[in-house]
Amino acid sequence: MSSTLTRADAAADPVFQRLRALLTDVLQLGERGAHLTPETELLGALPEFDSMAVASVVAGIEDSFDLIVEDDDLDAETFRSVGTLWRFVADRLAEA
Amino acid sequence: MDEPTPQPLFLDGPRGRLFAVLYGGDGPAALWLPPFGEEMNRSRRMAALLGRRMAAAGGALLVLDPFGTGDSEGETTQARWADWRADAVHALGWLRARRLDARAVIGLRLGAVLALEAARAAAVPRAVLWQPVVRGRRYLQQVLRIRMAAALAHGDRGGADSVTALRQRLAAGEILEIGGHPMTPEMATDIEALDLGAAGSAFAGRIDWLAVGEAPVVAPRLLGDWRDGRLVTVDGPSFWSTEETTTAPALLSATAALLTETVVA
Repeated sequence: MSSTLTRADAAADPVFQRLRALLTDVLQLGERGAHLTPETELLGALPEFDSMAVASVVAGIEDSFDLIVEDDDLDAETFRSVGTLWRFVADRLAEA
Repeated sequence: MDEPTPQPLFLDGPRGRLFAVLYGGDGPAALWLPPFGEEMNRSRRMAALLGRRMAAAGGALLVLDPFGTGDSEGETTQARWADWRADAVHALGWLRARRLDARAVIGLRLGAVLALEAARAAAVPRAVLWQPVVRGRRYLQQVLRIRMAAALAHGDRGGADSVTALRQRLAAGEILEIGGHPMTPEMATDIEALDLGAAGSAFAGRIDWLAVGEAPVVAPRLLGDWRDGRLVTVDGPSFWSTEETTTAPALLSATAALLTETVVA
């Protein structure tokens, strides 16, 4: 996966699409979900993104992608943006 | 014709009286099994709506509160998974004693695994799975993580044990309160053992997996391992987890369509 995550990459990537749908559902973003891009900031930027949201998003990722996320795998950087979260999921899928 | 009135009733279950609501009262019948904990409360409306849909279509739905949950007898802390399975089997027997044709068991989330086990135990031909939990161990981890997050969100840093610490407390015999519902070490052990794939493989009947939103990537593989498994994906909110009451009308339509298929067949 390239180090720079572009919108074009995102549009073509089923993992990103699935992640975006998941965030839209868990955070109940509605129409706003369609506007999520890799640059969209999450933790500290999106009001909905509190500790409960983090736990719910991680659960959603685990269920949707059939992954197990250990708490040690997580740090604040993971949730900085949609792009960092996307990279996290992609890396986990590559390891699985 | 007026919509039939739902009937609240009590069954004499294996460990105590079980509260249930019967929608309709003729024709092909199904049993609805709830998810665990707060998800059960958040899905009550959908269960009632499904009941009304099925009654209107000339069928029946029994919505059951397993032992120790809802308005049934018993404390949640007394219940084991095997009790719930026995309750579901008992409820199916109750339907049959009323000469209702118990055609399907429907379950949501953890209730979906229960539905598979009950359908197998009672030789019911179909199981309908609403957003099933795939791995009990992972589900338990998620529940503990959410509890930790909720404690953090309430500024309760002292109460915000790590998931590892929470597991240790369970292992030491402590009952944990999770979102207002107690979880015993025994129930945690029961939940950890649950595996949707294995439950589906052990069931010889037809399984309909209804996914709300995108189906998990693992769904096709699991379905392929089952004798007769099918996937339907519908749009809608995760109503079992939203704080405010939400409904997924598309899920109701899809379920009613699947079950009225049975009527025609």
